[in-house]
Amino acid sequence: MFCYLLQHVEALEILLQGLCGVQRERLRIHEICLKSGPHLGTVASEVRLLCDLEQSEPSWSVRHVGGAMRGAGAEQVSVLVRSMVESKTSKNALRLFYALGYKFDHELLRVGFSFNFYRGAQITVTVASINKMLKLHATDEAVPVTLGIQMVEVIAPATSENYTEVATAMSSFCEYLAPLLHLSKPGVSTGVVPTAAAAAAALMSDGGGTTL
Amino acid sequence: MPIRCILHWQPNQGTVVNSQVLNEISQCVETLNGVKEGRCKASLTFYRPNLRDQSVTIDFPRDFLGISMLELPNKYFFIIRGQKIVLEADSSILLIMEKLQSYKSKVALNFEGVLYKLGDFQIRVIKVVPNQAESLRGIMVEIEYLPISSIEKSKQIMEEFIDIWKEIVAKKSLAGQFMHAEPNYAEYGLGDNYTSQHTAVQYAAALAQLIQSAQVRN
Repeated sequence: MFCYLLQHVEALEILLQGLCGVQRERLRIHEICLKSGPHLGTVASEVRLLCDLEQSEPSWSVRHVGGAMRGAGAEQVSVLVRSMVESKTSKNALRLFYALGYKFDHELLRVGFSFNFYRGAQITVTVASINKMLKLHATDEAVPVTLGIQMVEVIAPATSENYTEVATAMSSFCEYLAPLLHLSKPGVSTGVVPTAAAAAAALMSDGGGTTL
Repeated sequence: MPIRCILHWQPNQGTVVNSQVLNEISQCVETLNGVKEGRCKASLTFYRPNLRDQSVTIDFPRDFLGISMLELPNKYFFIIRGQKIVLEADSSILLIMEKLQSYKSKVALNFEGVLYKLGDFQIRVIKVVPNQAESLRGIMVEIEYLPISSIEKSKQIMEEFIDIWKEIVAKKSLAGQFMHAEPNYAEYGLGDNYTSQHTAVQYAAALAQLIQSAQVRN
């Protein structure tokens, strides 16, 4: 589930802090998207390399994101369901995939914060600006893709057996964010929440004590 | 982790490795009062690119290898020897490679060994066999010195032990000898502190030597 947020990021953080009951974690992830070169593979493939720059020693992982679940089952759930496999790696992942014939496609830097908590399912909420690099891999010189916009993403791991329960838990949680924002499946437009300004003001003045 | 050195068996010209040689080598360990502690296993897989146009194989690495070790069930290692790349990953990387469909496994070899304990040392006597076959393709011995993790600091004691080992094996008058060629770890970006990545690099190097000797003999 996701949405784009123009304002009220601080209020959202206060709301999330109250709802999740965990400390927020800072987020600074360099994501490099590679695509298979010509001739490689019977079909083209894409792989993402993620470098967590928030750690004292940057840590790498490799991620493959599959296509979205389709069909009647997909239409019945209010969340996007797709396969994702991730593997932590040592630091040579980029060199390895280049050597295997993968080519650089694009990269971005996500900067923001996240909450990771359990509420019917293990849920992660990230609020981050999406930044592009003006020079290849120059994360210190990143600028927002669209100034002032943050992306709010809510994700939760699931298996093929329990994804409907996880989807329900996610949707239930997202309802608590409704005074500030509406989340939806990617590709579905949501618009601005009319109560957002008032809700944000209440949160900011109260420092999280307000029940919305 | 403790430092390890891998020696590979080089049969004399015109001879082949066989189970008799393996038994004699195991007896050498017992001569040193080595005590059997258990078994060990690693699997090596050669990968080849899945190509839409077979004429472009030259653009892709010919020495792309994957290694799993029984002692590290949640890890997998990739090596491209020609470019001196080693990568340690969670074993879920195999699922990712399967989904990418860009490389396929071609040949798999198992390194199956018996672990012996000798005081501060551990020795693994390893036979190299193809996956799902019994024919012996090679023999390796892995010497581990438990107290030290620094490659530099352990150099002298390791060399002394290897000399003793070679002398004991030589007394058996077997048709071959153990060779030790330590890879240049710095070229792989590896430091003085020994890790599983060093072991993976050694396995790949030893296998390359075994293949080369087999090609020379043929």
